[in-house]
Amino acid sequence: MALKRINKELQDLERDPPANCSAGPVSDDLFQWQATIMGPPDSPYQGGVFFLTIHFPTDYPFKPPKIAFTTRIYHPNINSNGSICLDILRSQWSPALTISKVLLSICSLLCDPNPDDPLVPEIARIYKTDKNLYNKNAKEWTSKYAMA
Amino acid sequence: MVLTEEDSSKSGKNNENSSDNASSQYECNICLETAKDAVISMCGHLFCWPCLHKWLETKPLNQTCPVCKSAINKDKVIPLYGRNSSNKTDPRDKIPPRPQGQRTEAPRNNFFASGLDGLHVSFGIGAFPFSFFASTFNFTTDNRMPAPPPGSPQYAEEQFLSRIFLIIAIIFIIWILLA
Repeated sequence: MALKRINKELQDLERDPPANCSAGPVSDDLFQWQATIMGPPDSPYQGGVFFLTIHFPTDYPFKPPKIAFTTRIYHPNINSNGSICLDILRSQWSPALTISKVLLSICSLLCDPNPDDPLVPEIARIYKTDKNLYNKNAKEWTSKYAMA
Repeated sequence: MVLTEEDSSKSGKNNENSSDNASSQYECNICLETAKDAVISMCGHLFCWPCLHKWLETKPLNQTCPVCKSAINKDKVIPLYGRNSSNKTDPRDKIPPRPQGQRTEAPRNNFFASGLDGLHVSFGIGAFPFSFFASTFNFTTDNRMPAPPPGSPQYAEEQFLSRIFLIIAIIFIIWILLA
């Protein structure tokens, strides 16, 4: 069931790739994927290419995939391990969601951080109090870690 | 409808796409394959019953539609039966069978008519001569039951009963005339 569904998603991704994102298996193991997200325009992450790992549980799609950034990113909801604080990856997961939709949600999280449910309180505080400093730091990290 | 037909006749590629879309309209929202043992939620979302059942089992306390998160439960999904979908063989051993479709009998049009016929026969004393004719010579069309074929035991019984009623009626008339 899981493998069939992952294959189906892979086909859909090839046929109709989401904007600014790509994803696919790393090797022969279809349960391990790598994804890239281009820093969305109009965000301080613009121009950066961010890598993520995707690990599918065996009971996918009934359990959410485990997704983490491997590229460092300055964001209130993403910590230094790359863990992402996003409701649809935990309690709000639904089997009707696909990797494509999840990547799109992560893109919109990059554009609109959620400082009221922070994973990195310090960045959330700066985001809330000093938007300019946040933008400056995020741009710095993007050019430092996410540009080849 | 006309537009899609025109579009699809324009080029082979378009045709392929539209047939793709047509089949993906009937994909289960969980396994993304064409739905097998299909059920539909009250919010209109299509699933394979085994897929939906597994999802409902994963979250027994907070059962929501995977697509729109509206409340959903086993008793409120409707099974879809296509022409060739069989419910003879059930390969799902551990999964309870799909909920049954609910079927209600359509109301019968001649319900009141036959009810009135019954009234004529049993309580027709006030309009006595008319009901007498009606029941004896069967002027009104009666759709309650087909008449038993002549020669059968039911036929003989009915003939016997009608004769008894005829005799009772005659005695009644004589009694009224004498009184």
